[in-house]
Amino acid sequence: MAEVLFICKRTVSSSKPVQPGQISPLSILDRVMEHNHLRVVFYYGLQTRRRAGELTKKLRESITDMLSAFPVVTGRLLRTSEGDWTIKCNDAGVRMVEARVEGTVDEWLKNVDREKELKLVHWEEMFQRQYFWSTFYVQITEFEGGGLAVAPPFFHPLPPPRTGKKNRNFHSINHYKSAKENSVPASDTKQTTITLKFNQEMVKNCINMARTTNADNCQPSLTPFEALAALFWTRISKVKGMKSGLVDMSLCLDVRKVLGLEKGFFGNCMVYNRVQGDGIQENDLSKAAGFIREAVFKIDRDEVMDLIEWLEQENWKTYPSCMNGSCLICANLENMNSYSAVFEENSSPLRVSYYIEPSVGAGQILILPSPGGDGPCSRVVSVTLPEVEAEKLLEDGLIKQFGPTIWMGLNRNLC
Amino acid sequence: MLAVFLEILRLGPEEILLLWNSLHFDLVQVLCSLFLVIFIATFYFMSKPRSIYLVDYSCYKPPVTCRVPFSTFMEHSRLILKDNPKSVDFQMRILERSGLGEETCLPPAIHYIPPTPTMEAARGEAEVVLFSAIDSLMEKTGIRPKDIDILIVNCSLFSPTPSLSAMVVNKYKLRSNVKSFNLSGMGCSAGLISIDLARDLLQVHPNSNALVISTEIITPNYYKGSERAMLLPNCLFRMGGAAILLSNKRRDSARAKYKLVHVVRTHKGADDKAYRCVYEQEDPEGKVGINLSKDLMVIAGEALKSNITTIGPLVLPASEQLLFLFTLIGRKMFNPKWKPYIPDFKQAFEHFCIHAGGRAVIDELQKNLQLSAEHVEASRMTLHRFGNTSSSSLWYEMSYIEAKGRMKKGDRVWQIAFGSGFKCNSAVWKCNRTIKTPTDGPWQDCIDRYPVHIPEIVKL
Repeated sequence: MAEVLFICKRTVSSSKPVQPGQISPLSILDRVMEHNHLRVVFYYGLQTRRRAGELTKKLRESITDMLSAFPVVTGRLLRTSEGDWTIKCNDAGVRMVEARVEGTVDEWLKNVDREKELKLVHWEEMFQRQYFWSTFYVQITEFEGGGLAVAPPFFHPLPPPRTGKKNRNFHSINHYKSAKENSVPASDTKQTTITLKFNQEMVKNCINMARTTNADNCQPSLTPFEALAALFWTRISKVKGMKSGLVDMSLCLDVRKVLGLEKGFFGNCMVYNRVQGDGIQENDLSKAAGFIREAVFKIDRDEVMDLIEWLEQENWKTYPSCMNGSCLICANLENMNSYSAVFEENSSPLRVSYYIEPSVGAGQILILPSPGGDGPCSRVVSVTLPEVEAEKLLEDGLIKQFGPTIWMGLNRNLC
Repeated sequence: MLAVFLEILRLGPEEILLLWNSLHFDLVQVLCSLFLVIFIATFYFMSKPRSIYLVDYSCYKPPVTCRVPFSTFMEHSRLILKDNPKSVDFQMRILERSGLGEETCLPPAIHYIPPTPTMEAARGEAEVVLFSAIDSLMEKTGIRPKDIDILIVNCSLFSPTPSLSAMVVNKYKLRSNVKSFNLSGMGCSAGLISIDLARDLLQVHPNSNALVISTEIITPNYYKGSERAMLLPNCLFRMGGAAILLSNKRRDSARAKYKLVHVVRTHKGADDKAYRCVYEQEDPEGKVGINLSKDLMVIAGEALKSNITTIGPLVLPASEQLLFLFTLIGRKMFNPKWKPYIPDFKQAFEHFCIHAGGRAVIDELQKNLQLSAEHVEASRMTLHRFGNTSSSSLWYEMSYIEAKGRMKKGDRVWQIAFGSGFKCNSAVWKCNRTIKTPTDGPWQDCIDRYPVHIPEIVKL
């Protein structure tokens, strides 16, 4: 397996200077995600062969233009007088790392695993003087045999939605409370990530299987997210050795639509909502799906606004060291539009991988969009678990029944 | 002549005829006189210096990907000099007061963390800067590489083998008998030295073109140490370059933009202090950089005085010269306390291009020569938009004046440059034809935003 060769690290600025004095405050939803970051890798298999570095140069020019429209991205973190984070749009730029790998992108994708894929992503932890720490890093890796990987990981907190008010009881609090109260123990178990692609037919089969047997015909059918989340919830509970009931799980949902925000909104809109797994048998897919559906429906606009209000009122001395660590997380990222990031020659990504870091605790299920072609229901599911459990999951009978394509499995002896 | 003419008018026509007949003209005498007149006329025209025309020039415009905002510069500085916070603060204070803007550019190698100033990167920068400027000039003037008779390249701090002029000859396939020169180590005033050299060569070679290229290659000169006196150039020097086409061909007199009137060079190197005031050396850690002495402004002032003492008589109107002479005599003979008379150069020139070496240089010259804000506007705005581009800055300033539509036929321009040595060089140009706007050039996309107000201190 080819090694990733680091070429250089540089700063890329926008093409137009930023007007001085702009400040972009962060909302509470942004701030609670302080210790999390997202890593994404876009793979392109470009047909035209080019000189080494040519593509990177073009991308750099393109990034320079794009940054002019997002002065927040080139800004730096600053503490307000209340001690909260805000962003000063000081035009400092983003860090860009250039790298190279031998071989083609297709060869890489055949043999990649979590450890190797993360080498395509550059990330630096915030150090003491956060004012010089870039919130965005882009790594561009050229494949000598053809192809490109672009990885823009970014700090999870970013600008604010509108806030409202109403006093009601709500359920999403539970996740945040538990994240606040429980510190995540340092874990020695090695986490690994497997990625499975479910095509249209497979997802439809899963939906059918998860429908309640005595459901009315007029009830809308389950969404791919609900069905797949239920499937993996039950299967993962099994591999974790749960005898009665399912493991606790938190759904991480995109609430842009609920809040009435446009797709282009720039800020954290992921909200967590806990689902309890007590009383669900490991094979009871439909019941699991039902619980998930209920949890999704509960997250309406008022619920989110109440959550925001609660979070703002809570006395957070520091934000939870990890929003992901308290239980199994199932994130709905199917609206990410990643495959519309088309490069020149109308080249859409071959694959897009996501990682929500740090990945500690019980594990993560990410329901992701699939590259187009075979239908609107097809999905890619990325599961991060301790290695032993991941292995068992791949062997699971029910999952095998659907026959998903293993995009990224466990690579042990390949180098 | 006037007296003779008046006398002729006074005499009547018959008297003129009588006078004519009284002069006994011998054919031989007539022919000899005629030949004498022709001989003197020929001798005069032959020994008259050839007119040197500036056909056109072109300035390099760096791509936006090379832009370095203040915050990026300071961030890099902090990351690289993390063990020297005092040096970082010093750089910040310099940058705040520098008069530079947020659009100045550094070459790609300096954007890396840490910077990678390799020779390959330096050559890369040289190729990009020189070839862009030359391509643009060739397009504007229609000149072909085969037509270039003289090639002069000046770049002070980067001098590889083969030279940059050889690089140009190679790229453009210039003729094998091209007269090529490469001037290095001559500082920021080398641009005018190159013009002077081209002028002298064009006196010797009739019917010729000279391509002069002025630039400074930033890549190899990034100072990696922490000595404060040597960090200044990092803060001020930026990417830039200019290509100028000079000609002594009569047919270029119509299309040329300017005519070269004077070049005056002053070298104060005989004085030790002046010699050492801009000095390339190793710091205590062995890192090479350029040390700028604290006496720089004083020495610059002295050099300027010498230069204007020479150029004054060539350009100033008689009234100013007389005033200066009287005050000088008065100070020497009567009262040394009389204030020295500073000739009003605004009467001699319409436009001033003062090397954008730094805000202090421009301020000092504005004060010394009693110039208005508009006169130094080109220099200040060039410093703001492009930074200190060394020898090519004068051309960015000319370009600014043209882009503003201020350059009219007959206008006289004074270019003044200072440089290590210590040298002060001046060139005087006369505008040959009114330059119409909009002009193409480095100011094309931003001239409407200028002039900008540049605050004393930009808080970072």
